[in-house]
Amino acid sequence: MELVQRYIAAVQRELPETKRDEIGRELNANIMDQLDALTEQQGEINDAEVAALLKQMGHPRTVAQQFVPPQPFINASYMALYKNTLFMVLGILFVLHLVEVTTLWLSSADMGLIRYGFALFGGFIDEACFGFTSITVAYWFMSRQQPVANTSCGKSWQPETLPPAGPGWQHIKLQDIFTDLASYIFLLVVIWYPLSMSAEQLAQSSLLLSSNVRLILQYSTPVIVLGIMHSLWQLQQRLWSRNMLASHVVLNVVIAAIALYLASTSPLLQLNTERWYGVFNLQQLERSAMITLVIIALFPAWEALRDSVRLRKFK
Amino acid sequence: MTTAQLDKMRLELRRGVLVLAALALLKQPHYGYSLRKQLQDSGIDIDEGTLYPLIRRLAEQGLLDSEWKHAEGRERRYYQLSTMGQEMLQQLTTEWRLLNGALGNLLASDEEKA
Repeated sequence: MELVQRYIAAVQRELPETKRDEIGRELNANIMDQLDALTEQQGEINDAEVAALLKQMGHPRTVAQQFVPPQPFINASYMALYKNTLFMVLGILFVLHLVEVTTLWLSSADMGLIRYGFALFGGFIDEACFGFTSITVAYWFMSRQQPVANTSCGKSWQPETLPPAGPGWQHIKLQDIFTDLASYIFLLVVIWYPLSMSAEQLAQSSLLLSSNVRLILQYSTPVIVLGIMHSLWQLQQRLWSRNMLASHVVLNVVIAAIALYLASTSPLLQLNTERWYGVFNLQQLERSAMITLVIIALFPAWEALRDSVRLRKFK
Repeated sequence: MTTAQLDKMRLELRRGVLVLAALALLKQPHYGYSLRKQLQDSGIDIDEGTLYPLIRRLAEQGLLDSEWKHAEGRERRYYQLSTMGQEMLQQLTTEWRLLNGALGNLLASDEEKA
């Protein structure tokens, strides 16, 4: 009977402490009854037959889970809300981190683009891990407290208040909103942060843009602020409307035009030619910057074209 | 249809009926093994991994009363319908008869068409 005791102990180890004794006691009684029935049929039974019966009952973990089914870490009724909170917080963390790292990059003399990239994404992963853990623990705690409560799917909703049925693209994804928001805020920091720096700091900073380009970008600030406001509007509505699409088309056309105008400007960059001597020449870098700006202009141009088509189909 | 699909559907179909069958048999007191034996003798074959947790859950819901008794030199936990369990059995029996009648008609008309 030692095998039975070992089996029951293995099942008990998989159970919550409060239920171990009771379930173990009941399982023991059930197994003994089955062994009695087997003895009645076959006469004396050996360890191999006991082992076969226990194997037939199932792995101790499976048996324990049948008695006490595992609880999901986060209650299913909270799952939609949990995912929404997670994306929202991660998006905000990314934007805040972007501002922090960009100001550090602009004010630092020895922080190159590669280090900036590492600091941006490596640091974000750190913050994202912390955010993910905090939100998950908070929802786990809520799931333990009120497992059936559901704030967003109660009885108070009305079919009349649901948004009209529209095409699949009408729902705006959180990652799209936060990508736009992060880009606009990045531009704002790049344009305005150097103004708070002294001439000495400016000379030592990693900023490569010429004063001409910086001036054009400063004049573009209202467009960028409008972009931020548009992103916040999207975040609030989460569904494209005619007005929102139309304003997005205008916004993207203006941004594409600014990028193309910048591409036609010369000089684009303000470089320490001694530092780059023998690696790149100024003409190569200017040409690369111009091509980059044309490629950058293609993104808002594509969005403007896409939204124009959508606007035409929109009822 | 694969055998696995059939097994899954069959399991789902039987799972709902099993509660009714267990409640019906527990008008008389039974311990786990005797209940399983009774079900088997009535043509409902069920493995212990499903039945024992099921009767515990029914007891936790207040549909069964339970009591540990010593018999034949061994302790066993006996289960029997509680008052709430009796009411539930009555309601589920009515529901089952309605469903059975409706399904009987549906399946009969399907067979006639075939």
